[in-house]
Amino acid sequence: MIRDITIGQYYPAESPIHRLDARVKIVVTFLYIVSLFIVNTIMGYVIVTALLGVVIHASKVPVKFMLRGLKSIIIIILFTAVINLFMTRGDHILWSWKFLTITTEGLYMAIKMCVRLVLLIVGSSLMTLTTTPIQLTDGIEYLLRPLKKIGVPAHEIAMMMTIALRFIPTLLDETDKIMKAQQARGADFDTGNMIQKAKSLIPILVPLFISAFRRAEELAMAMEARCYHGDENRTRMNVMRMRGRDYRAAVMTAVYLCVVVGLRIAAGHLTFMI
Amino acid sequence: MSIKINHLTHIYNPGTAFEKKALDDVSLEIPKGQFVGLIGHTGSGKSTLIQHLNGIISPTSGEILLDGENIHKDKAKLKEVRRRIGLAFQYPEYQLFEMTVYKDVAFGPTNMGLSPEEIHESVISALQTVGLSEEVYEKSPFELSGGQKRRVAIAGVLAMNPEVLILDEPTAGLDPRGRDEILQAIKELHEKRGITVILVSHSMEDVAKLVDRIIVMHRGKAAMEGTPREIFSHVEDLEKMGLAAPQVSYVFAELKKRSFDVPTDVYTIEEAKEALLKLIKQVKA
Amino acid sequence: MIKAKDLTYEYIRVMETDHGTKEEKVSALKQVNMEIEQGDFIAVLGHNGSGKSTFAKQINALLQPTGGTLWVKDMDTKNDALVWDIRQTAGMVFQNPDNQLVATVVEEDIAFGPENMGVEPKEIRRRVDEALATVRMEEYATHTPSKLSGGQKQRIAIAGVLAMKPDCIVLDEPTAMLDPVGRREVMETIERLNKEEGITMILITHYMDEAVRADKVFVIDDGDLVMQGTPREIFSQVEELKKYGLDVPQVTEVAYLLRKEGIDLPADILTIEEMVGAVCQLKSTI
Repeated sequence: MIRDITIGQYYPAESPIHRLDARVKIVVTFLYIVSLFIVNTIMGYVIVTALLGVVIHASKVPVKFMLRGLKSIIIIILFTAVINLFMTRGDHILWSWKFLTITTEGLYMAIKMCVRLVLLIVGSSLMTLTTTPIQLTDGIEYLLRPLKKIGVPAHEIAMMMTIALRFIPTLLDETDKIMKAQQARGADFDTGNMIQKAKSLIPILVPLFISAFRRAEELAMAMEARCYHGDENRTRMNVMRMRGRDYRAAVMTAVYLCVVVGLRIAAGHLTFMI
Repeated sequence: MSIKINHLTHIYNPGTAFEKKALDDVSLEIPKGQFVGLIGHTGSGKSTLIQHLNGIISPTSGEILLDGENIHKDKAKLKEVRRRIGLAFQYPEYQLFEMTVYKDVAFGPTNMGLSPEEIHESVISALQTVGLSEEVYEKSPFELSGGQKRRVAIAGVLAMNPEVLILDEPTAGLDPRGRDEILQAIKELHEKRGITVILVSHSMEDVAKLVDRIIVMHRGKAAMEGTPREIFSHVEDLEKMGLAAPQVSYVFAELKKRSFDVPTDVYTIEEAKEALLKLIKQVKA
Repeated sequence: MIKAKDLTYEYIRVMETDHGTKEEKVSALKQVNMEIEQGDFIAVLGHNGSGKSTFAKQINALLQPTGGTLWVKDMDTKNDALVWDIRQTAGMVFQNPDNQLVATVVEEDIAFGPENMGVEPKEIRRRVDEALATVRMEEYATHTPSKLSGGQKQRIAIAGVLAMKPDCIVLDEPTAMLDPVGRREVMETIERLNKEEGITMILITHYMDEAVRADKVFVIDDGDLVMQGTPREIFSQVEELKKYGLDVPQVTEVAYLLRKEGIDLPADILTIEEMVGAVCQLKSTI
């Protein structure tokens, strides 16, 4: 299950999408998500899906790999569908039983929300799949920089993300070791009711937290020893630079947004597109 | 209780790009009460082997017999297997979690469902066996020294009254004093309880001091086995496997090469002293 | 290069007792006087809690003296304005290889120090490549640290310090958590950097076979610098070392025991070759 989550994973490949500046990718992804809520016609979704397909193809990330990411959130998608299916009120009743009713509007809404959700997840995981965690945190740090004036600790947020990413594999490994060690002392994590199961987690969580705190303390000292003192006068080895392809991507996104907004306005007049 | 390992093979991530054969057709027998040293460098398969003995991982093929019974035959009995074969992991202080030493050691026996009296008896007996004095029983395990923490962790396994005790690198990261403390405790518990002890270690000096028999793991196979005397007389073979014999074994191997009339199976400081004294007397005469 | 005059470090430890909390003054270092020359390879021995780790942290100004003075390249470590210069001059490698690597990519981690110092990007790139080559880890530049072995992680940590261009590296038990192969890798790296680059090395350890390879050995016990001298001078005093809870190499101990039996062997035998040589010598003199 954990292995199936592709959000936040990186898929190494040589592609024009991989080579794009992380800042551009973050902004484009953000605008793409906004566009999903502007679009409200079938024609619009067809266009968005086609474009996304083209970008996925260009990224060289296998479609199978992307779809695997959806598997882990299938429950959320189904839940959204069911909620919309039954909760949307409308005039055209298709089916009704006791207090449950399905209307044409509800069916339409459920499909629309599911499509939106799938497009949203596939689109944003495409960004993380094609951007290394380091580039991503650097990009976020850069984009948050203007917000520093209003007290957003941009550098600290990025540093926290970097350290978290660095220590996730270490802590997972440690959890495995602690579990085995407690199992060797007869701990049972599989049987019992909810309360017993929750209780059985204590012998794992306590050593894990103690170890994590010790690691944090030692890491802080090691960082200080290497002259870390926040982002004051700090330079970076890899400087982010916008290149031709980044500007081209920006222009394409602008055009795409215009089309989406145009479609939305047109949909108001031309009902046959629905 | 004897342990018999028959043609044990373990492959990690079979069928993927990360496939790795950690154990390759290992067959061994460990009789009751033996003190065994298991040595081998990182990746030699020794960790995988001990995790099999305790039933924490299952073999790809082959079997482990405990008093003639396959430990994986009956899943329901696995918990009992883990009790009978106690396993203390490397850096055991990472698994301490209770408020007091006493409570932490009681974790194992409590999981076994013993009565309060039995738990109390096992805990006290285990703490005494590893040589911890009464004044630490109510202390937090996190306040103790490195050597003491290790002893608490070992007592935690011992309190389940195992018939076999496996210790994975019990001295790693300790200073000489802490190391001697823990080795002394292990030696005594073997003598007092008469249980089988399997000591996994990188340190040949530690192993040489304590064990009856050494098993050398190399590339997933049990490459050598015998008494310390037999093993440490093969200095060159050990070197080839990235291992080292105690320093004095090298001295005697080198003296033999220079055609001195010395034994080549010397591995402790005391023996070295005696052998050299004898040699010097011979030369003088 | 490094000089201590009456270096003292005290702190208050709060202890929980049955009658509430009790404060206790602990002297981790007591009036230590010593001097280390540029290019020296020093081994610091002492059991856990002897104060040797506190001593290491003083050199890097992670801790400041509560009494006396410590100079690193003539910079007083009590001077807060000089802290970053001191840390750049005397780099530090810690015991746990996992808890000192910051980044998810090896080369990014090595760049961390110079980035903090505000070095130009191009220069950082150059230093990172050079440091990677020095510790012989070039092929791992884009790997993630969590997949490396302990010895490799420690070499990356050393490279991270090297990229800061230090004059001195303090290593606080860098091999304690490693297997024999990893220990060998790290010791080779330390010795090579000392011999070839002339970097002062201060190695805190409790492995005697490592201390034997240093130019000079310091023994710290209960906050006091109780012994200092060449490995030969130190290890020939078997009884005193045992008193401080330390080991001697096996061959040194055998020679010591034989001397007690009246055999005329040198007291300062440290290696297997020396022991064999001494026995051969003994034979020819009889």
